[in-house]
Amino acid sequence: MSAIIRLGMSTSDIAAGAEATFLALQSAVRHRQLPVEIKRTGSLGASHREPVVDVEIDGQSTLYGPVTPERVRPLLDQHFGSGGRGVSSDWLISRRNDRSDYPFLGKQVKVTTRLCGLIDPYSLEDYLAHDGYEALKKALKMSPEEVVQAVLDSKLRGRGGAGFPTGIKWNLIRKSPNFPKYLICNADEGDPGAFMDRATIEGDPHKLLEGMIIAAYAIGASRGYIYARAEYPLAVSILRHAINQAREYGALGKNILGSGLDFDLTIKEGAGAFVCGEETALMHSIEGKRGMPTMRPPYPAQSGLWGYPSNINNVETLASISSIVLNGPDWFAGLGTDKSGGTKAFALTGAIQRSGLVEVPIGTPLRELIYDIGGGCADGHDLKAVQMGGPSGGCIPANLMDTIIDYDELRATGAIMGSGGMVVLDDTVSMVNMAHYFLSFTQDESCGKCVPCRVGTRKMLNILQRLLAGRGRMTDIDNLRRLCITVGQGSLCGLGQTAPNPVLTTLRYFEDEYMAALEGGANGNVQAQLAAEVTA
Amino acid sequence: MIKLTIDGKTVHANPGDHVLDVALENGIDIPHLCHHKDLFPSGSCRMCLVQVEGAPRPQTSCGMTVQDGMVIDTKTGAIEAMRRDIVDLFVSDHPLNCVICDKNGSCDLQDNAYRYNIQETSFDFELSRPKYYDDNPFYVRDYQYCIMCGKCVRVCDEIVGANAIDFSGRGFTSIISTPFEVPLAESDCVFCGNCVQICPTAALLPRSKIGKGREWEMERRQTICGYCGVGCTVEYALKDGKIIYAQGTPDGAVNGEFLCVKGRFGWDFNSSPDRLTEPLIRKDLAYELGLTDEPWEMPKTSALKGKPKLGNFIPVSWEQAIDITATKLAGIVQKHGPDAVVGLTSARCTNEENYLFQKFMRAGVGTNNVDHCARL
Ligand SMILES: Cc1cc2nc3c(=O)[nH]c(=O)nc-3n(C[C@H](O)[C@H](O)[C@H](O)COP(=O)(O)O)c2cc1C
Ligand code: SF4
Ligand code: SF4
Repeated sequence: MSAIIRLGMSTSDIAAGAEATFLALQSAVRHRQLPVEIKRTGSLGASHREPVVDVEIDGQSTLYGPVTPERVRPLLDQHFGSGGRGVSSDWLISRRNDRSDYPFLGKQVKVTTRLCGLIDPYSLEDYLAHDGYEALKKALKMSPEEVVQAVLDSKLRGRGGAGFPTGIKWNLIRKSPNFPKYLICNADEGDPGAFMDRATIEGDPHKLLEGMIIAAYAIGASRGYIYARAEYPLAVSILRHAINQAREYGALGKNILGSGLDFDLTIKEGAGAFVCGEETALMHSIEGKRGMPTMRPPYPAQSGLWGYPSNINNVETLASISSIVLNGPDWFAGLGTDKSGGTKAFALTGAIQRSGLVEVPIGTPLRELIYDIGGGCADGHDLKAVQMGGPSGGCIPANLMDTIIDYDELRATGAIMGSGGMVVLDDTVSMVNMAHYFLSFTQDESCGKCVPCRVGTRKMLNILQRLLAGRGRMTDIDNLRRLCITVGQGSLCGLGQTAPNPVLTTLRYFEDEYMAALEGGANGNVQAQLAAEVTA
Repeated sequence: MIKLTIDGKTVHANPGDHVLDVALENGIDIPHLCHHKDLFPSGSCRMCLVQVEGAPRPQTSCGMTVQDGMVIDTKTGAIEAMRRDIVDLFVSDHPLNCVICDKNGSCDLQDNAYRYNIQETSFDFELSRPKYYDDNPFYVRDYQYCIMCGKCVRVCDEIVGANAIDFSGRGFTSIISTPFEVPLAESDCVFCGNCVQICPTAALLPRSKIGKGREWEMERRQTICGYCGVGCTVEYALKDGKIIYAQGTPDGAVNGEFLCVKGRFGWDFNSSPDRLTEPLIRKDLAYELGLTDEPWEMPKTSALKGKPKLGNFIPVSWEQAIDITATKLAGIVQKHGPDAVVGLTSARCTNEENYLFQKFMRAGVGTNNVDHCARL
């Protein structure tokens, strides 16, 4: 009998109490002298059932959650002992390897998060056992141009929010005659409620590294940086460990895998500013300056880090690369729509039954994601809207749930694909409150450089506050609309340019709530509740 | 040569030129608050946004390089409305105290409020950074008037190289500050005051100017700074014949608009009562020459100790003074030879004066003993 027990130990599992479960599991297995390997893995994504335990015996896996320390003993009895009287079906998640009995997992198509929850992020052997670094070997046998072409053909678009085609970006920097070139991974993940990048790194760090090394080869970069969010200590330590392993393995450093390619990586930890996710601000921050955006052009590909050509990609973008190279661009393109290939991970939160990290093909209708995978709203409430793209995004009302997940289709609704934050709002939520919540975030995080964002968002917030307190003035709605234009069109960087989106979309779809607020104020306490849900 | 169209006018530019500069050179006025021709563009005031044909959103003209065939409209209705809103936002955290403000008449924000006919903000008025620093002898910082254009930060970095100040804080209450808000004297500030010079508002003002008159009452006089051999152009603002403050002028031949601490703030000697305004000779010599009846003897202690007593001198005419000096000098040379004399001149003299002085020493007196205070 070969038995593996996997326990999710990502930041979200730990928040759910996975450490106590691990200690209970470890001592029970030792005590009973069971022939079981305990593997600490990243997160499977099922946040609503964490801590999650996967018992795999002779290739047959059974998934449980939430597994509290008290549930460890009956669980072991069930599989290795006297029988299973103590195991409740409430904490059984799935008995099938393909998870088809649990739609939250069974309906997903996992590419970048495929190994999250399966392998030990500290084990290079685990990664190698799942085709790890095979894509790199394959890429090194191709020419850099061929790699760029594959990425072009894959129709991969940047997952950091704006959706710029990655192959085109790579081509731009590849053609620059200036050296050295820098490759930067944007792991700042600042949207409140978003945790896709964290989960990817904590579950499968080598996938990101492999993607970066292939990218470096393709664009001709000799040095790379991973700009990691300060609040991600676990992800950073896992990355550090993985970088050292990759160096020992020969995949980083000089003469990578005997190919003659030289490339090495440094981690730079941020200091907790949302605006440092903006690419120019991010580069200034790496340079040791204050993280403040500057005008583009020059674009990073022309003059980036320390004035040299630089390429910035999001974690998920780079984590897709190895799959594209290994399985072929056509396979990747085929997953998505005509104009956009692959899958996208979302952090599904808010008033949803099954929250967590979900990865679906581009082109999936929102309805499928919210209802089939997420199970609809919790506690019998009705869906009101879905907020996508965090503070830079907008809300999509319930009647537009047939919209497919695609950069252009989502933009047409006024929302954006964004980096993957998806907050489900039920019929108890005041939309004015919702707009206020996100705007107060951007208002706070404005870098202060330009006046539409620095002062304009403040004035918008003042108006929303007044409306919510029932002290709205007749001019307020007009002023709010005017400010949306000036802030959105007039701001220097993406933070300010997108800050009005939550207000614009709620004004578009829920104007009646603004009017009601103007007349009598809105129900007061939803604000705090929403904040709690978003950051949960 | 690049050809582009701005507001229907065809203009020519060099590759790499910025649209705003090209427009201004061609007499096309684009409002701006954070631009300075000698600093890298920052794009922070958002006033210079223009519509470029084919662009999805307004573009920042100060940082946009010209492209051949570009068609630009600087004053579409949408853009003018946005500029008006931007000024409206600026004055929503900037007290419109123009009546009592020492910047009144030379304030770029006031000019733009006038241009867009804004008497007061249409949003909520709310002070964002009511901080006042009066921590040095040269200038005061009153950040309630600051519009965060960042020109002071850039001049300190790009021109002066002192990097004494930077943006600090976040969002609405962000502010320009020394590191950890230490007083300026403890920072890397060299008190050149170039930030004061280019601040568009009353946030940075020379202390000497406060309460001393309105801009339009002042007479301007340009001269070359007398402090060192660089020869910077300096302009004094005078009222009733007294200097109120000094500044550089944009067309200064060697220094542009910029000055050092001495040129900008070190002019109080000009109207000092201690200043010598006529030749004086010491009383013992005057007695010897029969210019006075009062005998007088040099005290044994050094005249350099304590306050100089002008009562020990008597004024003479320039002719008399030169005459006396020449006679005395000739006597020494005749008695002890030319090498008994040494000539010292000053860095505050002009090149021409210094040239003449060494000529005088070498050809006139006959010695090479000539030197200059800058060697000390
Ligand atoms: C205010 C602001 C915050 C951003 N934060 C992030 C972030 O946290 N992570 C990210 O990948 N991209 C972020 N971006 C987008 C990046 O600037 C950049 O477009 C992206 O990293 C490019 O990668 P991609 O082409 O792979 O999408 C942010 C942009 C703005 C304007
Ligand atoms: S839009 Fe906001 S965050 Fe971006 S530069 Fe302007 S003030 Fe800074
Ligand atoms: S102090 Fe003056 S120069 Fe400096 S940012 Fe403020 S307004 Fe601009």
